[in-house]
Amino acid sequence: MPAPGAQPETAAPRTVLACGEVRTCLLPAGQALDSRAAARLLRLRADERVLVSERPNLYGRSPDTLTGVDCPLPSANGARVRAVGTVAARAALTEGRVLQTSAYFTLPASGPDHRRPWGDYLVRPGLVEPLGKLPCDAVAAGLLDGGRHGDLDVGLIAGGLLTRLLRHPLLDQRPPLRSRPTRLRWVALTSPPGEAPALERFTLAEDELRTVRLRVPEDIPAADLAGLCDDLALHDWLLTTLVRVLDGIRLGPAAPGSWPRSAPDGGLPPLVRALRPAVDHLLHLWMPRARVSGELAPLWEALEERPGFSRQWLALVQRVRDQLTLHAIPPVHREVEPAP
Amino acid sequence: MLVFAASDKGGTGRSVTSANLAYQRALTGDHVAYVDFDFGSPTAAAVFDVPSALRGTEERGLHSYLEGDVTEPASIDIWRHTEHPVLRARQNQSGRLVLYPGDAGGGEFATGEETLERCIDLLLRLNSEFDLVMVDLSAGRSYAVDLVLAATAHPQMRHVAYRWLVFHRWTRQHVIAAAGLVHKENGILRSGVDRGHDEETLQGNIRFVRAAVPDPESAMWAQGSPAQAAWMQSCNRALRRLASDQRIGDSVVLGTVPLEPILQWREQLITEEDVLATQIANKETLEALEEISRRLTDDAYWGLP
Amino acid sequence: MTEAVFRETTAEPRTQAVPLSHLSLELGHLYMEDFEAGPEHLRRHFARVRPWAEAARAFAADRAGRRRARVSTCFLIDDYFTRFASPAEVVPMLLAEAERAGLTVDYLARESACAVSGKVPVAEAVAGRIVEEPPPGSYGHRPPAAQTGWLANGVRSPTARAPQAMRKAAVWEPPRETAARRHSVFLDVELWNETPDGERLWSCPFLAAVWQLARLGLLRHQGEPVLDPQPHTGAFPDEWDDLPPLVRLDPRADPFAAYRTCSVLPSRFLPVEHAVRVVLDRTDVDREALRQIAERSAGEGVPVPGPVADRVSYVFCEET
Repeated sequence: MPAPGAQPETAAPRTVLACGEVRTCLLPAGQALDSRAAARLLRLRADERVLVSERPNLYGRSPDTLTGVDCPLPSANGARVRAVGTVAARAALTEGRVLQTSAYFTLPASGPDHRRPWGDYLVRPGLVEPLGKLPCDAVAAGLLDGGRHGDLDVGLIAGGLLTRLLRHPLLDQRPPLRSRPTRLRWVALTSPPGEAPALERFTLAEDELRTVRLRVPEDIPAADLAGLCDDLALHDWLLTTLVRVLDGIRLGPAAPGSWPRSAPDGGLPPLVRALRPAVDHLLHLWMPRARVSGELAPLWEALEERPGFSRQWLALVQRVRDQLTLHAIPPVHREVEPAP
Repeated sequence: MLVFAASDKGGTGRSVTSANLAYQRALTGDHVAYVDFDFGSPTAAAVFDVPSALRGTEERGLHSYLEGDVTEPASIDIWRHTEHPVLRARQNQSGRLVLYPGDAGGGEFATGEETLERCIDLLLRLNSEFDLVMVDLSAGRSYAVDLVLAATAHPQMRHVAYRWLVFHRWTRQHVIAAAGLVHKENGILRSGVDRGHDEETLQGNIRFVRAAVPDPESAMWAQGSPAQAAWMQSCNRALRRLASDQRIGDSVVLGTVPLEPILQWREQLITEEDVLATQIANKETLEALEEISRRLTDDAYWGLP
Repeated sequence: MTEAVFRETTAEPRTQAVPLSHLSLELGHLYMEDFEAGPEHLRRHFARVRPWAEAARAFAADRAGRRRARVSTCFLIDDYFTRFASPAEVVPMLLAEAERAGLTVDYLARESACAVSGKVPVAEAVAGRIVEEPPPGSYGHRPPAAQTGWLANGVRSPTARAPQAMRKAAVWEPPRETAARRHSVFLDVELWNETPDGERLWSCPFLAAVWQLARLGLLRHQGEPVLDPQPHTGAFPDEWDDLPPLVRLDPRADPFAAYRTCSVLPSRFLPVEHAVRVVLDRTDVDREALRQIAERSAGEGVPVPGPVADRVSYVFCEET
């Protein structure tokens, strides 16, 4: 019998469930970071390279870091299954502007009855082992719904990494627009052999929470799934944020004296002031599937079909441009005020 | 922008007035966070009428967050959870109004290095999410005041705009106490300088709000005798002299909230409905709140060009 | 799947492999006190080490089966905590005494190289890879205040935090080893402290853990091997800084790094090495390096244990 851990890949138990959470927010800095600054921000480990890519857009990703966990898994039927292991977490920066942290792990169908020595878990990064058998469906549902206090909360790990990065001295804490971070929580169940990966459900839950349920073949690495979900989260955040920017503008006749307005910011009318940051910082970021692995890229099609992510984005972008065009015309030449 | 609401004494109407200012700003379309740093008596939920939404947040409020027991403090969307009928019909085009409550039953606590770091994390996060972050601080020379002074002096907060509102009532004792809170030993200015603030800048960011001020001209006193009226006028003059001597005179006052009977009975938000439909609140009160909320970000009132 | 047409090198991290022996055998550490005690002291040390060293070799040969066991020996000199004498003075004497005992030293390392090797901040990088062992109840929240510069094998006794006003302070609780079997052997290791001018001074146990990782071939800096052995040429220099961090004394020696390590040390090193295990058991080493070694050792029929700490063994011998 080979010694335990002799071949970590083959000796690792079959995983039946992968799960993660992505936090997405605007980088709180006046200017977008260039690739060198991005690499500095994402250097979570002194000795490991930051992945930096410039095609098809500027993108940086940190090495994975690990967080140890030992706690019950959330489950829909109230079963209390204790699990021990490590959750992987990493950060990514797109076009020096949108910061994401992503935490994820995989679960095997069963594990030992007792907790192993810690060194055993550490050599299988990103694997959380149940003690005993895993009630797979109940835990998958529980993970998406969020558990009770004290159950494994992978979002806290993503959130902790985000908090740490937001304190980086590179950031001047002058975001060009106010925006809300979003959370996207995902689970991936394994599909029967031979079936294509599928995006079963994408839900807009509360204000900031989105949930995604995937069904994928067992051999797709969890890091690739996390990559797909990062991409979904990024584009969902872009939509959410641009919708809110447009929500916040007031159309129609401006308050008396608001045109021309002598303000410290160069006398821009309020509408232009509200839309300008979106043009400067958001509109060029839309690029679905830029870094999704080949097998998973087709999953985007479901969202393009309904509700039509790119369709909505294009409509919003068009609206921003139309508004700015209208406002480029001085009021004396306008017969009517621009309306929605 | 961060706005810190402080007062030397309890009973100045600090919490209820700052909550009303937050509400007014949200009505104008700003996204507003109301952060309850009144650690000794966390009661902001009552003002916003969200008692039931508080259930389940007892152990996840700001006390637990700052002491490191939870990673993210609980928050309550006021428009969605309030039981106040007018507030629930959120006005079109209004911004978000979110309450960050303290732990129910939480008390004052000593702050340390880690509390400070968590406080900075929180303020930075709220600053990037909200247009206005109203932080209601425990009365007097409190840990809360100390904590936010240290936080705003931190190098990573240097670009985060902040302003202070010091609330006081219009009596001799309150005027002297409010001036002391800012200018005297262990006051906001001295402590702020000790924590790394520039005195002039900090002082330039402090304004006073006179709350529950009886207006001698008001109809409320119309039944009084001429002698009473004369006495009130002379008191008012004396108080203005005193305030000016104490360096909290008219030039550093952001606004005055008139004495409002309904606030004497119940801490609540004053809505247009209260003034127009049910007429239980005075029009002057609402106007004063609207005006102060507007002045919060009007640089002309903050000594800026 | 077809190979991608477009590639970006910065987007594809790569980890270089290092040559590997079966066993890295450490013959001792040299501190200033040892040097000051004179050549006789070293002579006695090597005489005590020799039988154990031979036993370790025999064990490695046995495990290697029909293949030749590749075994390299090494020796560590402290030039980090105290600087004494010079390489020109120390090294020839050291080698002579080893030879007299019938031992050869293949590789000589300076302890300061475990802190910073050339321009690579080795110790800092390893410190950044520590993953604390989660006590039961760790669900992903921020771990209880990491005691900066310390690493424990369990949960510390809670410090008396001033309670909220009008609340009770918590009563004392004992610390607890997370992997305890019934009773705890709690250990809290100081990894570093700060000198008055704000510089980080790494602790002896922490540098010893870095030393073990180096010998196990698990250190990389951005994919490149750290502590690459340099050949020895000419006389030994007069300054420690002029001596390469890791010197190969015998050009025909087996590779420095190995699947497993064995250290023969005087028993007073026991607490230090306990601390080393605590560190190794909580260090998330370069995964690609880990994979390469697992594959190659399995290919040679001598698979390494998964946990890194289990690849390390000791002989604690009598004090000299």
